[in-house]
Amino acid sequence: MFELKKFRKKSPWILHFNAGGCNGCDIEILACLAPKYDIERFGMINTGNPKQSDILLITGPVTKRTRERLVEVYNQMPEPKVVVCCGSCASTGGIFRGMYNIEGGVDQFIPVDVYVAGCACRPEQIIDGVVVALGILEEKTKEIEKTIKLANKPVVEEDGQVNRRNMPAELTYETTV
Amino acid sequence: MKQQFEIPVGAQHISLLEPLHFKLTTENETIVDADANLYYVHRGIENACVTKFKYRQVPLVVGRVCGLCSVSHGTAAAQVIEKLTKVEIPLRAKYLRMLVIELDRIHSHLLCLAHVAENSGFEALFMQTMRDREYSMELLESVCGNRVQYDYSIVGGVNRDLRPDVAADIKTKLALLKPRVQALHEVFETNWSLSLKNKGVGAISKELAMKLNAVGPLARAAGVPIDVRNETEDLLPWKELGFEMILDTAGDVYARNMVRIKELYVAFRIIDNILNGLPEGDIANISKALPEGEAIVRVEAPRGELMHYARGNKTNVLERLKIKAPTFSNVGAMVEIFKGNQYASAPAIIASYDPCLSCTAR
Amino acid sequence: MNKIETTLEKVSSDIGSFYKYDQHHFIVMNANDLGDKIEVQWFFHDYADAKNITMFWLQCADTDRIPSINGSVASAWVAESEIADLLGLDIENAIAGFVLEHDSPIAPLRKKKK
Ligand code: SF4
Repeated sequence: MFELKKFRKKSPWILHFNAGGCNGCDIEILACLAPKYDIERFGMINTGNPKQSDILLITGPVTKRTRERLVEVYNQMPEPKVVVCCGSCASTGGIFRGMYNIEGGVDQFIPVDVYVAGCACRPEQIIDGVVVALGILEEKTKEIEKTIKLANKPVVEEDGQVNRRNMPAELTYETTV
Repeated sequence: MKQQFEIPVGAQHISLLEPLHFKLTTENETIVDADANLYYVHRGIENACVTKFKYRQVPLVVGRVCGLCSVSHGTAAAQVIEKLTKVEIPLRAKYLRMLVIELDRIHSHLLCLAHVAENSGFEALFMQTMRDREYSMELLESVCGNRVQYDYSIVGGVNRDLRPDVAADIKTKLALLKPRVQALHEVFETNWSLSLKNKGVGAISKELAMKLNAVGPLARAAGVPIDVRNETEDLLPWKELGFEMILDTAGDVYARNMVRIKELYVAFRIIDNILNGLPEGDIANISKALPEGEAIVRVEAPRGELMHYARGNKTNVLERLKIKAPTFSNVGAMVEIFKGNQYASAPAIIASYDPCLSCTAR
Repeated sequence: MNKIETTLEKVSSDIGSFYKYDQHHFIVMNANDLGDKIEVQWFFHDYADAKNITMFWLQCADTDRIPSINGSVASAWVAESEIADLLGLDIENAIAGFVLEHDSPIAPLRKKKK
């Protein structure tokens, strides 16, 4: 049996998307992949394929032309997924806030889990943020792996008819392990 | 007629740092036509510089145009405003600006070389080059206080002096870096499998490069003698510090690698000369004059010629600021070079342009 | 910098006779909003003496059709499309929507009419 849980925790694959920043934070992400900071020791690899990645690293404020691509890339990623914003301008818009072609921070379009501050954010900070993201990824994985049960059982009336007026629309989550 | 396919590269792609979209039309494996969609990162900085920010803040804002050559942008904007306000800056400030621009060039060229290696499928060389690049990042941090956005040039000079211990640090670290760059040079020059992906790939002739007005290493690799450092002695005295233009003739990916590596040696020499001959004096000359008139300034950024045009009307806010980034001039050539190459070489060719779309789109 | 004034009718032929691809480098095309008029500028420098910058300029109304110089300078379309979008000018052969999205403001670099 694959110990899928264990392996996913050990090697989250990251996807890097620039939503319109100045490249400053992007080259710091590249520096993270390089020998000095080396986030590959956490098992992370930079992938180009959203369908295989677990962590989405976003840099830069969202511009009017990238927002559709951002949402699309996010939607293509499988659950569980974690979104990390690198840099001030991805978090809030930063220095670009209020410029005419800027929509603002990334969190206006997709849910963000970790914000990394700084212009540009240092590689140490990115590593910190990604390690926090690993914890969140694990929690989200646990959340997904809970079994689901219907909360309301249908009522069986005296004549054997099933009463579906109380639709069992609520779900309860239980942990298996 | 053979069947043609359209293959998109981008907007998000592993070989691209930034959103950029190429539509390549291919016949079998050969690219016959290319189309580019560049303005994904258009933010409106030119407008913000003339409405939201005062002219003293402009060098810091235009630094955010591009993180790779932020000091070139900042210096160009500071210089153009100094021309408008008619401020003479101290010689020491000029030398310090050149020092940071050259350090920036080292880190940018090494990044580009690493990227070419990675996109040609040579991951180990990518790692090595990135490791050596960290020397220049550490030096930039110790000189300016930040790894990427330096905010070093301000209107009237620079905002930090060079401490003697930092100067000594630069010398020791560069002495470590030089032999490593020589080793990299050897790999890039002689490695057989890299040459398969680089030699004769993505070539452009001198004539075409001139017709399409290419700039920077892309043009110099084809033999076009264009380098702003060759001419602007009045603003930054490059020539007296041992600047020398590097030219190649082949115009392919390999020639671009060679031009970039040889420019590293020039940068080392200029930095050595700056450290040995750094004049004493103030680092900034802050005046209260307001910008008036119009001026243009050209600076050689790592990717080529950068031009800032500004116009002032004796108020605290500029009237117009136009930024012409190096990649902007290269767009025509970039689209042209693809034609006739294999689709599999496209990532390496894109990396060898060293495109900077956030400069182009602003 | 030598400034050469030209007009809307003459600009194509002026630049066409001036520009030799192996002698001059086309830097960029620029336009400024002067309030009631538009000033359009084309910058060139020489390869041999690169300090020598030549600027062609003209002034026109904002509704005039500005001719393209792409016939003589092969890479001018990028600059022309950008300026046409950012200042809302009518430039021959400019690609619409090159820079701006459909919901971006129109002609953001123009001054607000008071
Ligand atoms: S936070 Fe700063 S360095 Fe990072 S992308 Fe934004 S402007 Fe560039």
